[in-house]
Amino acid sequence: MEKVLEILQELRPDVDFENEDSLVDGGVLDSFDIVALVGELNDEFDIEIKPSDLIPANFNSAKAIAALVEKLMDE
Amino acid sequence: MSYTSIKFLIFVTVTMLAYFLFPKKWAEYKWTVLLAASYVFYIFAGIQYIGFILFTTTSTFLAGLWMEKISGRSKDYLKEHKGDLSREEKKKYKERTKRTKKLVVALTLVLNFGILAFLKYAKVLFMGGTGDLLVVLGISFYTFQSMGYIIDIYRDTVPAQRNFFKFALFVSFFPQIVQGPIGIYSQLAEQLYKPHDFDYDRFRHGFLLILWGLFKKMAIADHANIAIRTVTEHYQAYGGTTLLFTVILYALQLYMDFSGGIDISRGVAQIFGIDMMENFRRPYFSKDISEYWRRWHISLGNWFKTYLFYPLAMSNAFLTVSKNIKKSKFGSTAAGAHIAKVLPTSFASFVVFFMVGIWHGANWKYVAFGVYNGAIIMLAVLMKPAFEAILRKLHINPDCAPYTAFRILRTFVLVLVGYVFDVAPSFEESMLTFRLIFTDQNLRVGYGEISELGLNKVALIFLAVSAVFIFIVSAIQERNDKTTIRAMLDKKPAIIRWGVVYIGIMAVLVLGVYGSGFNAADFVYAQF
Repeated sequence: MEKVLEILQELRPDVDFENEDSLVDGGVLDSFDIVALVGELNDEFDIEIKPSDLIPANFNSAKAIAALVEKLMDE
Repeated sequence: MSYTSIKFLIFVTVTMLAYFLFPKKWAEYKWTVLLAASYVFYIFAGIQYIGFILFTTTSTFLAGLWMEKISGRSKDYLKEHKGDLSREEKKKYKERTKRTKKLVVALTLVLNFGILAFLKYAKVLFMGGTGDLLVVLGISFYTFQSMGYIIDIYRDTVPAQRNFFKFALFVSFFPQIVQGPIGIYSQLAEQLYKPHDFDYDRFRHGFLLILWGLFKKMAIADHANIAIRTVTEHYQAYGGTTLLFTVILYALQLYMDFSGGIDISRGVAQIFGIDMMENFRRPYFSKDISEYWRRWHISLGNWFKTYLFYPLAMSNAFLTVSKNIKKSKFGSTAAGAHIAKVLPTSFASFVVFFMVGIWHGANWKYVAFGVYNGAIIMLAVLMKPAFEAILRKLHINPDCAPYTAFRILRTFVLVLVGYVFDVAPSFEESMLTFRLIFTDQNLRVGYGEISELGLNKVALIFLAVSAVFIFIVSAIQERNDKTTIRAMLDKKPAIIRWGVVYIGIMAVLVLGVYGSGFNAADFVYAQF
């Protein structure tokens, strides 16, 4: 979770990721941010996030992103 | 049967009666009324087209079941051999399953998009003509919608539909078949199958939305269309002032035509208890071109984002390019880090816009339109740090109102440039238009020409007043994003509520374009 927050903060220093819970639905992250984020997460955690994982529910908060990463690491 | 015809009004009324009076004890089959109505509507458009939609329905339906069977078999096998397969073997087996599914989905996509492409491009590519080989009603829209479904099945995000007739309804639902919005299976399908009871509030809201759509289409778009048609028929006869006027008028006409049609579709669906996705969110208030494309024809943009942009931008090839730049010497500079981050994505969006462009038809002007939009977005993203630096240097606060107004206006001008490709009959003529707009401005000549375009002074004033009216309504909507004007009206006294309905009906009847010589124009997007 901490590592995820770190990556997010680096990507968009202007966003309060700890408290924001509609990153996608609220339009905080655009598709360019998402793709950059996916690249970072794939590298950092050695996972493969697929286009089918790109539903708002998986990316609306740092917590949700961390949960997705954990799920993919278990696979 | 046009959405703006009396025939359609009668058709919807009869369908409503059949749907809402459907026997309660058979409520689970209520959706069959919508299916029957959709096919009646489609047959009215021309029975000769029915083979195309039936082919897409059947091939997609079967492919969905097939893929689900492959997935199911694979899961059963893995469960059965849970103990005696190594991790490696399991992985290999899973990959093999995925490959088979990929083959099925690829075959379905090639077949169905193949038909669409053939009808769109065969005449230009093989027969030396222009235009489509055949315009099959709604083919783009139902093809995109069905292909979205099949990719969802491939991705295991929705279960396959097991009832052929239910699936047929998803593909053919009559309010959306002519020009969308392109529905998403997981959002739309269950709504179609659920038995809905008559709801007076929904009826009232749906009815108002239909009226609003009719007004936009028949009173504004169809009037504007008269002048635009006159210009495009003798394109070379007009000077720069008239061409500029035509392009601005086209911005009004296209938006009113397309969004008015969608309002009618969404209003009809709403009466039947079905919420279709929004397709427009005041696009002309956008502050940059990518925002514009998120607010204009939203369902198409969404489709391309989900099924083309993300897979492309997230593919290994694209991510590797990004990684390589980052590792290089250039990547350690601020500009390099930025480019590494956005180059693959901006290239992917360029590809998307190129595809959106050529989807509009086999004509170089549409290629130019796609390249133009793609290039602007790509440049805007790549150059973002540079633009921000310029603003800082000039001490401009990017969030202040005057700068926001400037951005909205700038985006609108960029959109107008794109429309030139749409209005001009050919690529060469669009280039000529640009030249004349810049070199041949003459108000007196322009005024003379514009007054001869088939619209008298009253009609021209009406269009100008309408544009201001639409602007005001849009500004109110923009300020109240969370609600609708209809919901705001609900809180007003009865006299105002009924007054609006009465004025709405009168406006459509009195101000709409009717009668001989004034045949209501077809929806612009029905041809795509």
